[in-house]
Formats: sequence, C-alpha cells, structure tokens
Amino acid sequence: MKPMKRTKIIVIGASRLGANIARMFSERGEDVLMIDKSPEAFNKLSDGFSGYTICGDATEMSFLEANGIATAKKVIIATEDDNINILLAHASFYVYDVPRIYLRLSDCDKGKLIENTSIRAIYPFLLSINEFQFLDKE
Amino acid sequence: MKVVIVNGGHEADFIVKMFKQKKNNDIIVINSDKAYCDYISANLQMPVYFGVATKKYVLEETNVRDADVFIALSNSDADNYVACILAKKEFNVKKSICTVTNPKNVELFKKLGIDSVICSTYYLAETIQNESSLENVIKLLSLENEQIVLYEVLISEKYAIANKTIAEIHFPENANISCILRYPHVIIPNGATVLRPKDKLVIVSAPSNQNDVVNFIQR
Repeated sequence: MKPMKRTKIIVIGASRLGANIARMFSERGEDVLMIDKSPEAFNKLSDGFSGYTICGDATEMSFLEANGIATAKKVIIATEDDNINILLAHASFYVYDVPRIYLRLSDCDKGKLIENTSIRAIYPFLLSINEFQFLDKE
Repeated sequence: MKVVIVNGGHEADFIVKMFKQKKNNDIIVINSDKAYCDYISANLQMPVYFGVATKKYVLEETNVRDADVFIALSNSDADNYVACILAKKEFNVKKSICTVTNPKNVELFKKLGIDSVICSTYYLAETIQNESSLENVIKLLSLENEQIVLYEVLISEKYAIANKTIAEIHFPENANISCILRYPHVIIPNGATVLRPKDKLVIVSAPSNQNDVVNFIQR
C-alpha cells in the first residue's frame, strides 16, 4: 500500500470542547471533519467553523474508515463517555496509525491505559484543580 | 480458579451458577445495577459488589488482581473493552473475555488485546442460517481461528455410499467421520460400520477440504 498523505483533522464528539477545537482548527484553514451521533450537537459550532460535519456512530469502524480515519493527521476525541474515548483512541493508534491523538478523560485513573503510546489526554478535572491552586495563591 | 464476572443480566446469573458448581472456584461478581446485585446475592447466597467495573478503584476494592478469567457482559461494547483492558494491564488478569453487540468489534477487540471476544448476534445469525438451511450440509463449528471445521452431512438413500461400510467406500484421507448420529444413538464408527440413509455424519476436516468431502459423500 502506498503511503497516503495525511491532511485531515477529525474531531469526534461535538461537546463544547470538541466543537471549539474544531472551530479553532477551521479558523486556521485546516481541513476539519466533525463527527457526532446527534445532529443537534452541531448547533454548538459557531460561524467561524467552515469544515465538514457528519452525523454517525464513531464506534462503528467502517464509518470511521469511510470518513478517512486512515488519512487523518490528528484525531481529537471528546465524547461524553470516557470508555468510548479510550476505545476510539486505541483503535486510532493501534489500527489506523494516526500520528497525533488527543482524548478527553474525566477519570484520571484511565490515563494508565494510554501509557507507552503517543496518545495524549486532556483531564478537565486536573486543569480545574491546577487553576484553583493558581487562583488561591493570588 | 479465580473468576471475575462483570455486569450482564440473565446470562451472568447462569454463568455464575455454572462456575459455582465447581468447588475450588473463587468467584467475584461485580454489577452496576443495584436491583440485580440484590437479586443475585439473595438468590445465589454470595456477595455481589455494586459498582462500575471500568473504574480502577472498583477493581482494586474487589480484589480482582491475578484473576484467571475476567468476563465482561455489559450491553456496551466500549465499557466491556475498557473493563477488560484495565483488568489485563493494571491487575494482571490472565485471560479476558468480553461480549459485544456489534459483530465487527470481534476482530477489532482481539487486535487491541482482548483474549476472547464473543458476539451473540453473530452466533444467533449463524444458528438461524443453519436452522433454516434446506441443504443436507450444516456447518457446526470452526475451531482454532477457522483452521478446523466440524460439519454435519445427512445421508440420502440416493447417494452412492448409502448402505455401504466405511471400509468399502474409501473415505477421503484428509477428513474424518468423528461420529454418526442415528437417532436416538450416537455411533463411533469403524471400518465395519454401515452408512444408512438418514444417518447424520459429523465430519472434521480443514476448511479447504470441506467441498471435496461433501462432493464425495453426495455422489
């Protein structure tokens, strides 16, 4: 198989985090695809977003393949469900060799599951605690 | 043997009972449905841990470390995946088994490190296909990643081999008639066994030889 050029950024889960990351990349002129299972979720996308949206089940690997997971340069996984996020991150890493993978995790303990990979996690809980400590020092 | 059973409804009940029949099994049951926990603990007189098995502290508190088998039976494929991976990576569980509702996840989960992935939808579909088959050949089972197949062929009186002994017919060498179902008996055949119409032959072979064997029988 000849190597494909990876240009696409895929954002899975149009949560507030996911939607804003998608808009940010879109404003930078990147090729962005936003996936969510509910069509209403895309309402969160502001006018600044000029990428593509598609409604579907991202846990269905054939759906991800049809939408170019194998040619993605970055995947950002921000659904509301930690376990789905872990599964999608593992599939992106071990099966589709996506170079950069980010996921959101509410449960910090699950960070252990992405050790020794290039997957990077965002922990809203840790960020809030850090921010609190910072504010408390003022 | 130390066995952990996570979530699931009636099937969990059934599996717990099955493992309980053997004396030396140490069984740990974890369920995220409170009503179900009460039901199981009352019904089977055993402790059931109420909690979510994809949380690390739950697996710590229930002491699943070094378990021989870890079975995840919830309706969510992703939850089962994470529970099994967590048990394997963090708690040194020897064998992880999970059920999935999406047949496509069987291959994916195996690739990602789950030892055994079972899809009831797939088995149901295959069984229905077999049951509704009008042909005389039924695939029963494939073993060792489809390297071995077990199938059943019904003998018709029209076949050339009907009413002959196995020694007479020169059965293909790359297959074996492992038993014959002649209702209500099960016969382990030898060269002198006569193949009668309405006998069901249970045959073991490699998948690549199946067609030749079936053609031989149905001549």
